[in-house]
Amino acid sequence: MLDFLQALSDGVLFGSTYALIGIGFTLVFGVMHKLNLSYAAASIGGAYCGLLILKVVAAPPLVVFFCAFLAGGVIGYLVYLTCFHFIPISNPLATLMATVGMLLLIDEIIVHMTNGMPLNYPALFDDVMLRWGDYTLRGDLLMVFAVSVLCMAGLLALIYKTRLGLATRAVSQQTVAAQLCGIRVGQVNAMTFVITGLLGGIAGAMIGASVGTLSPLLTTPLTVKGLIVTVIGGLGSVPGAIIAGLLVGGFESVLQQFRGVTERDLYVMLLLFVFLVFRPDGIFGPKGGRD
Amino acid sequence: MNKIDVTTRRKTAYAIAAVFAAGTFAAPSFAQEKTIRISGFGAKSGVVRSFGINSEAAMLAAADQINKSGGVKLADGSKAKIVVDYYDDRCTAEEGISVARRMAGTDSLIGVGPTCSNVAEPLFGILQKKAGDASDSGLQFPIFSDVAIKGGLAKISEWSFRNVPNEMTMYSSLFYWLKQQHPDLKTVYGGVEEDFAHSRATWYVVMKDRATANGYTVAGESKWLLNDTNFATQVREMKKANADIVAISAHPFTTCGVLKEMQRQGVKPKLLVGLTSTSSLETMQGCAKQAEGMMIPTSFAPVNKEGKAAADATAKFKGSADLHSMAAWENMFILKQVMESEKISGNPKDVQADRRKIRDGLAKLKSTAGLMGTTRRTEDREADKPYLFVHAKGGSWQVLHNPL
Repeated sequence: MLDFLQALSDGVLFGSTYALIGIGFTLVFGVMHKLNLSYAAASIGGAYCGLLILKVVAAPPLVVFFCAFLAGGVIGYLVYLTCFHFIPISNPLATLMATVGMLLLIDEIIVHMTNGMPLNYPALFDDVMLRWGDYTLRGDLLMVFAVSVLCMAGLLALIYKTRLGLATRAVSQQTVAAQLCGIRVGQVNAMTFVITGLLGGIAGAMIGASVGTLSPLLTTPLTVKGLIVTVIGGLGSVPGAIIAGLLVGGFESVLQQFRGVTERDLYVMLLLFVFLVFRPDGIFGPKGGRD
Repeated sequence: MNKIDVTTRRKTAYAIAAVFAAGTFAAPSFAQEKTIRISGFGAKSGVVRSFGINSEAAMLAAADQINKSGGVKLADGSKAKIVVDYYDDRCTAEEGISVARRMAGTDSLIGVGPTCSNVAEPLFGILQKKAGDASDSGLQFPIFSDVAIKGGLAKISEWSFRNVPNEMTMYSSLFYWLKQQHPDLKTVYGGVEEDFAHSRATWYVVMKDRATANGYTVAGESKWLLNDTNFATQVREMKKANADIVAISAHPFTTCGVLKEMQRQGVKPKLLVGLTSTSSLETMQGCAKQAEGMMIPTSFAPVNKEGKAAADATAKFKGSADLHSMAAWENMFILKQVMESEKISGNPKDVQADRRKIRDGLAKLKSTAGLMGTTRRTEDREADKPYLFVHAKGGSWQVLHNPL
């Protein structure tokens, strides 16, 4: 039982990083009805950019995280320009393939800049371990969880309490009607990418902090996990991505504990197929035929 | 226009003409300078890019040194300079095979590579199995591996040769030495990157077997994948086993992840053993603090004059010296020796004959000179290289013991 609880809590805490990645995917899909497959790679790119500050000055981890946050926003905007703004938006495959290309491009830029070498990433509270007998909780994962929760709360506040959020929801629900109401759709789309980019920068930094190391090896598995979280949570649903991120994190950790690492991903994929078959709209996804 | 101007212009024109004439007449002698091409190939993209970068730098540095000392002596007594080109196989089998076919289509005399064992194995499979077998249409192009380390691959084809360390010998020696030094230590716990051919083979076939053979009890093993990011479960299993020695057979990214998780969970084995490929700069960049004390057998460390000079020369070509890149360095000097002893012609029309001579010359070798001493060549075209044990200390790899 203790093993189960331990695996579950470790997984759920780490799952908060999946949730952050999933939110990025789902937010862009919710607003533009497009998938940005380069999101996880851009997030890791932001985290790498955060490390650049350490080349100039011995900055504390919080400054590195903040730089990653800012860099994430810039990368998000660049992704918008290159993969969406100048590409015929009416062709869904064009933007999808552009983001695949961007994923590979970012990945290869990281590889070329670092020669593929893993880089040490600063963490907060990585030497703190809370203990209750044999049950332990990692301090750094608790910090990652707390930061993720704060980001999610901030994002939800932005979406539901601000004019920008209102505009974003309007564009998400009915683009033409939003345009007729005077909302500048292009600006909202760009802002969505900047916001998800900022969130991605934090997600990348939190992943780096929780793993302790950054490597280009992270981009592909995070892309896959992010997509799984998005589908399970429901395409376009931010609360769904949050719940699904924690669910997938806990699920894979428990399965790893009891079925081993070689079977773990098999069950995660099965979970995805179960959702696709029995609940294709995900946990919180809007029902089909919205438009 | 006055007369002086005309004279001056004529003189200038004659001078320019003379310079052009000199250039024109000098050109044939420059063009006649013979060159021989050696092709390197390995991963220069993806997460193992550093291997290709380092091997290419070592090959260029070695070629530079050979060329500065006159080049390679050919059959007619003339000298030829070595030209190195390097191909990226992206650590994928299909790209590796494509690169080998491309190299064979040029005037390249031999390929030095690849980085990954999963490329080497299928690539050796497309080479002619038995040299000179007319019924076998396999590629007749010699390959001299510097990095791909999975055991026993050269036997696939008589055109394949390797200059990579023998992990079985090295880990056997390491565990034997540890038993002598720490007779009180009884148990070993393994950590293995389950989905990477080299890591997997090294734990299951080499480390586990050699530890048991030297009297250790294997207390268990944890598995993870190359792309994994969370090692909490695996390290908890490791902690429960409470083994004296933890042996990690994984590449730097996950090795660092596991070492950091071990630190968090307070897992402090009495000794830490790592994979040969982990004794690199990558580990130091990723987790120098956590890797402190980790012991690894390696076939290269810059401990003597030759080793230091090779490392410095490689650094000038923006590469770092490790057991893999220095094998590429050694290969270049071995090839120079073979090309001279086999009297290759270096003529473009004799490329295939020269390739065959190089293959036969390599097959004849019983030993070669290496940076760490003499390497014994085996019947199945593998190397039995000298080695030593290094450990992570103060952010760098330092020599711990020389067992030879």
